[in-house]
Amino acid sequence: MSLVAAILLGFASSFLLLRLGGSIKGQPVASAIFECSLAAGVGIGIWSVVYFIARIAGIHHLLLADVAVFLALVIAYVLFRPRPAVAFNLAAAVPGMPQWLERMLAIAFLPALAAALYSVVVRTLAYPHGDGWDAFSIWNLRARFLFLGGEQWRDTFSPQIPWSHPDYPLLIPASAAHFWTLLGRDDVRVPAAITVVFTFATIGLLFSTLHMLRGRTAAMLGSLTLVATPAFIEQGTAQYADVPLSFFFLAVIALLCLSDESSAKHGNFVALAGLAAAFSAWTKNEGLLFLAAIFAAQILMTILYRRKISGMQPGTSWRSCVYFFAGALPFLLVLFYFKHAVAGPGDLFASGSSAMRKLVEPARYWAVLQWFVKDFFRFGRWLLVPGTVLLAGLFFAVKNGASERSSAVRISRIALTLTLAGYAAIYLITPRDLYWHLRFSSDRLFLQLWPSAIFLFFLGWQR
Amino acid sequence: MKNLAQQIPSRSDQRFAPLKGALPTHGAVGYVGEAGAPVDVLSDYYLTQYALAPLVVENSTNHPLVIGNFPRSKPSQVPDNLTMIRDFGNGVFLFALKDSK
Repeated sequence: MSLVAAILLGFASSFLLLRLGGSIKGQPVASAIFECSLAAGVGIGIWSVVYFIARIAGIHHLLLADVAVFLALVIAYVLFRPRPAVAFNLAAAVPGMPQWLERMLAIAFLPALAAALYSVVVRTLAYPHGDGWDAFSIWNLRARFLFLGGEQWRDTFSPQIPWSHPDYPLLIPASAAHFWTLLGRDDVRVPAAITVVFTFATIGLLFSTLHMLRGRTAAMLGSLTLVATPAFIEQGTAQYADVPLSFFFLAVIALLCLSDESSAKHGNFVALAGLAAAFSAWTKNEGLLFLAAIFAAQILMTILYRRKISGMQPGTSWRSCVYFFAGALPFLLVLFYFKHAVAGPGDLFASGSSAMRKLVEPARYWAVLQWFVKDFFRFGRWLLVPGTVLLAGLFFAVKNGASERSSAVRISRIALTLTLAGYAAIYLITPRDLYWHLRFSSDRLFLQLWPSAIFLFFLGWQR
Repeated sequence: MKNLAQQIPSRSDQRFAPLKGALPTHGAVGYVGEAGAPVDVLSDYYLTQYALAPLVVENSTNHPLVIGNFPRSKPSQVPDNLTMIRDFGNGVFLFALKDSK
């Protein structure tokens, strides 16, 4: 009973938080899918933070803490909710697309979604503890320590088990531990459900945002591209943190683009983007890199716009940067506390001098470049034609001048490029065997960026 | 890798369930496992830790209590400083450090 109450409270809390950012006028179905998808991911994020703070503060009545957070958000909503609702220009269907092709697309979309759902259910039943080492040696292991550890919950960060990555942030394990606490047992279905929710929330977020900004055809094509990526469905049931991370990357970019294209420009959606960016950093360390990249991109574009050398549409300003940072700040403070007072040391930057030596080895650059090129074609585990090749081919044919000039699109592209460059830099200095590290992680890093890349591609689709 | 994921409930949670009652609820214990391919050695150890959390299982015999995990062979290569306390079946053993009090 308390679990059901907590799920409803979590959903309602994140819904209130999102409504503080603004409501969307028009397109009721798409905006409802958008808000439900975003609320699901953000709600899980909020509950993980509530659990962590309750652990730190020694609060044992978790449901009371949930209620307190909900009531605080109700008060904040009543006091600060923005008026009027944010309005968007309704996107029309893609011109030049034959009617029969649109109908075919609509007919193909639902079976593809059903097939994805079937695959998710079958894989979740087949791998109840997750599919792969990281599920039980990192994420679910940490959740067990948090839930079963009692007053000794910090044992999970023990230097005696450094291989469990005691520096990894807690969104996934703490949210599982939160629900286990309310359930009273460590049911394996909880972490499975969390990652499945993120999988479908990512699809929903992609579909709804594209629907609002570029119409139904672009939304269906974009969602089909993601659903038809086998690795996305596999990872979405593996109980790893990569798909949740991809959800938050997409949420940041979607919110920035929605803010950019809304008729009533205000900073609340940008602040929500900041919040989503902070949650990405609370999910995996790569999220911290992405947060830095997108914040740097915003500052860069603001400077360029101020100097009037970029030719972009207005929409980026110092004020916007402040809103973004303000949205991220509360959860960044939690992350900062976690990293400095709770988490163990990471292994990537443990040996500074060795890392510097590796940075000047050309062979390592060549190895990383080769591997990245190979993974560009194969990370999605497509059967015949790589989705990346399809999109790259279409990109030049259908790109839209309006989106080219959109500051949010430019910021997002710069951020994704910087993030990818950051991933490459990590491989260059990795203390582990380079090829081993690339083999077991680079496809997942590509997958983290994939929903955002699909979104930006179809955002370039002509109205 | 996929077999490993499927085998988790039987290989860890169920195999180590009888051992849990003989161990402290918190703190750290040692670990000794059978030799073999690195992937098996590592997975056996990780699965043991997963099953016994929130107890910290260090891959070392330098603890008063040491868990023995020998799912595929007899514990023939156990260090001399360990003495077996109990055989829990299914290749799960509990050892004690000989000179610990």
